[in-house]
Amino acid sequence: MRKVLLMAMGIMLMTSSLLFAAGSAEDGDAKPERYALMMSHMTNAFTMELSDAVKSKAKELGVDLTVFDGGQDVSKQISQVESAINQGYAGILIEPASVDGIKPAAEAAKKAGIPLITVNQRITDQELASAYVGANPVEGGELEMRTAAEAIGGKGKVAFLLGPLGSDAQIGRTQGYYNVLKEYPGIEVAYEQSANWRTDEALKLVENWLQTGVELKAIVANNDGMALGALKAVEDAKMLDKIKIYGLDATPDALAAVKEGRLSATISQSTTEQGLVAMETIVKIVNGEKVPAEIIVGHTLLDKKAVDQMAKN
Amino acid sequence: MSLHSMRELGIVFVFAAILLILIILSPNAFARPANLINIIKQASINGILAMGMMFVIISDGIDLSVGSIVALTGVVSASFAHPGEYPLIVPIILALSIGLFVGWLNGVGVAVGNIPAFIVTLGMMTMIRGVALIVSRGAPVFGVTKAYEFIAGGFLFDRIPLLVVYFTIITLISAYILTKTVFGRRVYAVGGNDISAAFSGINVKKIRISVYMISGLLAGFAGLLLASRTVSGNPTAGQSYELDAIAAAVIGGVSMSGGSGKWYGTVIGALLIAVIGNGLDILNVSSHYQLVIKGAIIISAVLLDVKGKEKAA
Repeated sequence: MRKVLLMAMGIMLMTSSLLFAAGSAEDGDAKPERYALMMSHMTNAFTMELSDAVKSKAKELGVDLTVFDGGQDVSKQISQVESAINQGYAGILIEPASVDGIKPAAEAAKKAGIPLITVNQRITDQELASAYVGANPVEGGELEMRTAAEAIGGKGKVAFLLGPLGSDAQIGRTQGYYNVLKEYPGIEVAYEQSANWRTDEALKLVENWLQTGVELKAIVANNDGMALGALKAVEDAKMLDKIKIYGLDATPDALAAVKEGRLSATISQSTTEQGLVAMETIVKIVNGEKVPAEIIVGHTLLDKKAVDQMAKN
Repeated sequence: MSLHSMRELGIVFVFAAILLILIILSPNAFARPANLINIIKQASINGILAMGMMFVIISDGIDLSVGSIVALTGVVSASFAHPGEYPLIVPIILALSIGLFVGWLNGVGVAVGNIPAFIVTLGMMTMIRGVALIVSRGAPVFGVTKAYEFIAGGFLFDRIPLLVVYFTIITLISAYILTKTVFGRRVYAVGGNDISAAFSGINVKKIRISVYMISGLLAGFAGLLLASRTVSGNPTAGQSYELDAIAAAVIGGVSMSGGSGKWYGTVIGALLIAVIGNGLDILNVSSHYQLVIKGAIIISAVLLDVKGKEKAA
């Protein structure tokens, strides 16, 4: 058994080294231009949509694109950028695993003179990058909260489901909620807790909140995954007629729930658009064109009306 | 009452004390009968995993792969649960047999390959998470039938959540196997001293493979339940579930060095973890503090238990 295992591992190592060898053999010929996309991770609908969009644009522009998965580990992402610099990529797109920690990678790229664009999240030292393409999370949060506030008539208790505390999207979107709440003194935040983007955690949390008998008017979630967990808890408690639920990201399952009239609305941060624009922009930079330092892709509200309209088109 | 069973009671007192504190702090929400059922429901999935973990730990092993099995069986079973495609039995059988198969692989790695259980199941945890991401293309699987949703979302007599029913049945079966069968006694014997167990004619390899298969099977079932409960199969679900299952077993007095542990201790361990989570959510304790409090309670519960046993002995 052990021998078999050892042999299997050996074969795996050999095949992977062959793959790498094949990769470096391509170094010699300069065309087509090679670009690298560094994703913070590849484990949810958002990151898949973003990378698919970048890939499709690369194909359209006829350039070569390699996607790297950072596995939510900033040190891994830094090493990936460093290797990409050494391997002579023409440009790097990065969806950063950490807004602060990625600095050494951005510095290395700048030093090597390789254009680097941050996608979806700004980094702390944004001036090290050639450009930023993405949505403004604060705007997204504002749009979501404003929609919820108007729907409940500007008064009553609400609860917030937050992403992992300290992540850029969580901070920005939650900031957006509070910006809007300044205009609605009648709204009280009864609960505000992190469910780490996760459906199962949000489900448990909302189940527990509902046990207290608190009269919530709306649950506003930092992402759709958590909104769907909240939706399940509220439906199980047969309280969907009393509590409205809002999400953000416009994932396919959330859109389906909006279409069925269960989820009140979700907000699209135009993920595909971000990916398309980012790929286009990096090619422009590499070709010597001037681009603005910040390219903001807007958010759109997707309530039942908008989703039905989408289905018609 | 014998001295032996007195020793086992330490954790029961700790559990009662925590219940009492929460009842005093939150008489109107925590102590409501509906919430008590809610707590058992929330303890169920972890409790089922903890039952499998108990067999493995008593045999002097560990199974870190259960969280990933939950994710894989969740996404696979949800993929076969779309309306109008397959009968309900297909996703159920798939979840159970995948869990059983991964458990068998773990068992073979440990018993035949002689690789430490920590390493085998750590590797399996990583691999299976990868497979879950591959088969789901990194995004949640949604759009499941009502019947599939009913598996974990349904009620017995309109009152008792089915999750609680499964947890109870699995606990009773586990208790029976562990205390009343030859197999159960052999699991203790192998965990206590595998050399003397082998000398007394026990097929140690067979016992070891069996306990990982039990753990895998229950993890597969838990994956089915979680996907049904969240109405979606999520490749990132079940993260750190293995740690909660280990915590439940260990809080319940299952010794990490193998050979000892009681089923009712594990049940109390699982309930304790759910009680703490529920109580802190209801008291609106911030997620940051919740982590600190949970960890501290786990350590002090075991510490009090150990001290109590020392005194009794």
